[in-house]
Amino acid sequence: MEKLLTRLRNMNPIVWQVGLIVLAILLPLPMGNYHRSVLWRTGLYAMLGLSLNIILGYAGLFQLGHAAFYALGAYTCALLNLHFNVPILLTYPASVLVAALFGYLLTRPILHLRGDYLCIVTIAFGEVVRLVLVNNLFGITGGANGLSSIDRPALFGFVLRAPIYHYYLMLFFLILTIYAVQRLEHSRLGRAWMYVREDEVAAEAMGIDTTRVKLLAFVLGSGWAGLAGALYAGRITVISPDQSKFLESVIMFCIVVLGGTGSIPGVFVGTLGMVTLPELSRPLKAWRDAWLGFVMVIMMILRPEGLLPSRRVAMEIRGEKEEVLPAPATGT
Amino acid sequence: MYRKLSLLLITLVLTLSLFTGCQKEAGTIKLGLEGPMTGDYAYEGQGFEKAVQLLVDQTNEAGGLLGRQIELVIEDDAGDPTQAALVAQRLVDADVVAVIGAYNSTATEPASEIYNEAGILHVTPSSTATRLTEKGFERFFRVCFLDDRQGLFAATFAKEVLGVQTFGILHDNSTYAQGLAEHTKRYAEEMGVDVAFYDAINPDDTDFTPILTNIGAAGLDAIYFTGYHAQGGLLLKQTGELGLDLNWMMGNASNNPELIQIAGLENAVGTYITTEPLPKDVDYPEARQFVADFEEAYDMSPDSVWWMMAAEAFNVIRYAIEQTESTDSEVLADFLHNEAKDINGITGPILGWDEKGDRLGTIHLAYIIGENGDFIVNPEQP
Amino acid sequence: MQFLQQMINGITIGAFYSLVALGYTMVYGVLKLINFAHGDLFMWGAYVGLTGLNIILALIAQTSPWAILPSVIVVMVTVALAGVAVERVAYRPLRKAGRLAPVISALGVAFILQSLARNIYGASYKTYPNGVALSGGTTLGGARISVMQVAVLAISFLLMGFLYLFVQRTRIGTAMRAVSLDHDTSRLMGIDVNRIIAIVFLIGPGLGGVAGMIVALYYGSFDFTLGWSFGLKAFIAAIMGGIGNIPGAMMGGMILGIIETLGSGYLSPQWKDVIAYVILILILIFRPTGLLGERVAEKL
Repeated sequence: MEKLLTRLRNMNPIVWQVGLIVLAILLPLPMGNYHRSVLWRTGLYAMLGLSLNIILGYAGLFQLGHAAFYALGAYTCALLNLHFNVPILLTYPASVLVAALFGYLLTRPILHLRGDYLCIVTIAFGEVVRLVLVNNLFGITGGANGLSSIDRPALFGFVLRAPIYHYYLMLFFLILTIYAVQRLEHSRLGRAWMYVREDEVAAEAMGIDTTRVKLLAFVLGSGWAGLAGALYAGRITVISPDQSKFLESVIMFCIVVLGGTGSIPGVFVGTLGMVTLPELSRPLKAWRDAWLGFVMVIMMILRPEGLLPSRRVAMEIRGEKEEVLPAPATGT
Repeated sequence: MYRKLSLLLITLVLTLSLFTGCQKEAGTIKLGLEGPMTGDYAYEGQGFEKAVQLLVDQTNEAGGLLGRQIELVIEDDAGDPTQAALVAQRLVDADVVAVIGAYNSTATEPASEIYNEAGILHVTPSSTATRLTEKGFERFFRVCFLDDRQGLFAATFAKEVLGVQTFGILHDNSTYAQGLAEHTKRYAEEMGVDVAFYDAINPDDTDFTPILTNIGAAGLDAIYFTGYHAQGGLLLKQTGELGLDLNWMMGNASNNPELIQIAGLENAVGTYITTEPLPKDVDYPEARQFVADFEEAYDMSPDSVWWMMAAEAFNVIRYAIEQTESTDSEVLADFLHNEAKDINGITGPILGWDEKGDRLGTIHLAYIIGENGDFIVNPEQP
Repeated sequence: MQFLQQMINGITIGAFYSLVALGYTMVYGVLKLINFAHGDLFMWGAYVGLTGLNIILALIAQTSPWAILPSVIVVMVTVALAGVAVERVAYRPLRKAGRLAPVISALGVAFILQSLARNIYGASYKTYPNGVALSGGTTLGGARISVMQVAVLAISFLLMGFLYLFVQRTRIGTAMRAVSLDHDTSRLMGIDVNRIIAIVFLIGPGLGGVAGMIVALYYGSFDFTLGWSFGLKAFIAAIMGGIGNIPGAMMGGMILGIIETLGSGYLSPQWKDVIAYVILILILIFRPTGLLGERVAEKL
């Protein structure tokens, strides 16, 4: 595994990046509509995972309410489309902005909270969003039924109906997201995030404005989740408050951690594990969720740093596990 | 040498084509069932499966449908719209002739879009959201009744039979209960009844003492709960424990013997229930037969009205296939819209469907829970 | 009249939250882990209690409230053992694996427990047999208080009191407090950390399981989703009071119960959860470590 990864890393990145893109484009062609839909869903959750990776993986902030922003993006798209007839594709920027705005508003007051407290507040926030949507605030959110009859995205008059077109639309944004996240990872901001994750006090001492850095992580991550929400709305055409439920946030959280915190390939592996595999395990029927839970536990025991973690995180976790002490010098 | 080979090849090809030809004739009729087998509504989804599987087995034992065996393809949508869209796709790819499902409107909606694109007959047993039939889907039908008919009935019953002037309505924010509550409120207000109390509880609440204390203090003539029997039972129980004297009415989702078990008999007596007629009161052998068969097969009675509806959905599809001698969705849908009238259903007489796919002619009755814990038809009906 | 009634209602549900919150807070204290599976252990308490009651009632061939006592013991033992098993299998291997991995593991255990309950017992609502719960009540200043409520409150406070004394006055309790401060130093002091943690998982889930049975007995019916919603509330209560802090958990539970009830009664029941969450967020904004603060040292 290590050797393969090293070889891949040493290859010219352009080569295998293009290769992957080509593969992604060709992949759905021989498939039936059901499998194409599964691919679409995988890609969507990968996008969500990448957005959460910014918050959880890079900046190390415990965000267990990420689904709230996903839902907010979806509802923004739906409301703009249903009430103002805004074409779906044009609602995307609005969805991103609204989700990012809420990301800002809601995390600004709680940024000083430490780890587990932050965790519970994000859970609480996810629930608040869900309940507000269910209770049909201002009469616009449609209550528990949600909103429906949302238009499909249309490109120059061509309406995207079949699953394969949605897949390509999603793929386009996914590639954009990967590119953007990668640039962030290797930027000063990205390094600042990881510094804050490793040791916030030291980071502050080094002159990093931790509040600003953490806020940026939340805002960027939340905005991206909003985009995913808009993509969802245009494909399924029905949205409901259930998109903000705790279980959704849990799945996104697991995607990031199981796949490998802080690593882009890790997010994809995590998505395969949490989203695609359960889909394929339908024959298990009523035991599907027990199986998922079982896999989660086993995975963590066997490989707590995730399947494909970033090198830093792996060293951090492995380092703690193997308390290697230098051998005592022989002699007197 | 070549001739022998080519002879062999031709024989092979012919034999194979014979097989495929055979398969087409003696093949099974695939029927799809979409429901929540896991997740919060697992109870209902699993009930769907039991009800429909029972009827499928019975039909198969009696020789099948049009001489072919029925194969039931069951998919779990966990009550979630995304999963519903996925499993709908699976069912379409599996070449099913028709689909029964889903349970909740939020899941049925995206699924119905996919079935509509594929042109497959889609019958829902329990999704009552009005907008489902407003999309112009020609092959979508409901066997359940719309919320607004029951709402009208409830309001009328409250006003004319109970003489209610100050009315209260309580729902649980679920799609079905909220819809019913809204319709009831609208009709009640149109009739001049004052809806002084209108509120909701959360679907997974267990403690209602705060809201009950409020209801008790509001001086209502009657209070109508449109949610499900598990919470209905708790409401009744806690009303008794608080020593309140409330006049409870409940909707058809509380139409379930378990209601009394949960509430405790002394708390349940005197509660009114608005519902489609119970099997024992429907004078159709089909209904009684179904209940008896169900009890024999599963050692439990079909408690939920929605399970009966699922069985009804199958019944309707089977009837359509038998009568038209076709499995083509367009033919079946056409038949159901135009020619299917006065069918003896498990849930009562089916008068037919309107052009939107809604079932015609709702019959509701008001029941009252008697001293022995049985559901008695209330002597006065609106 | 109304206010008093609501307060009584609030305190009762607050007592339930406190019992469950104690389990969260104790486990967090020694392991720094949010045991997401705790709510489902609580739910299992309700199921095991039902089975236990049914068996005992069948044995004594009559319905009587006295059947509760042996059932409670059965529940306590079973769920406590389950808690220890969960710790041993799912959490111990992850002690040194960072903060995220145990959370995932805990969530995985929660999924498994819920699925097991649904598949073994069925998806429908279960009811406790009639006549087992105590009935009757009295009115006090215009508000109604039932015998069950009094019994429940008495038992809850008794249990909490015992726990508090246990943690403060006994050797094992002191050892627990030491372990929650620092594992390594405790080991140096001669404390068997693994044993102490196992004991915590006996007590915490044991209490939670008993709470599950009491809640199910009190309300009369429940289903497999009981753990998820109740667990989340209890967790919030624990955080409100300061996680790792036992008196904090008790206080947090009470406050949450009262806020919920008053919010439900005076504003609207559909908003009661929102009110509770918002108040939680406000409390944390102004007191970042909960109302009573936490009893764990910050590792710098």
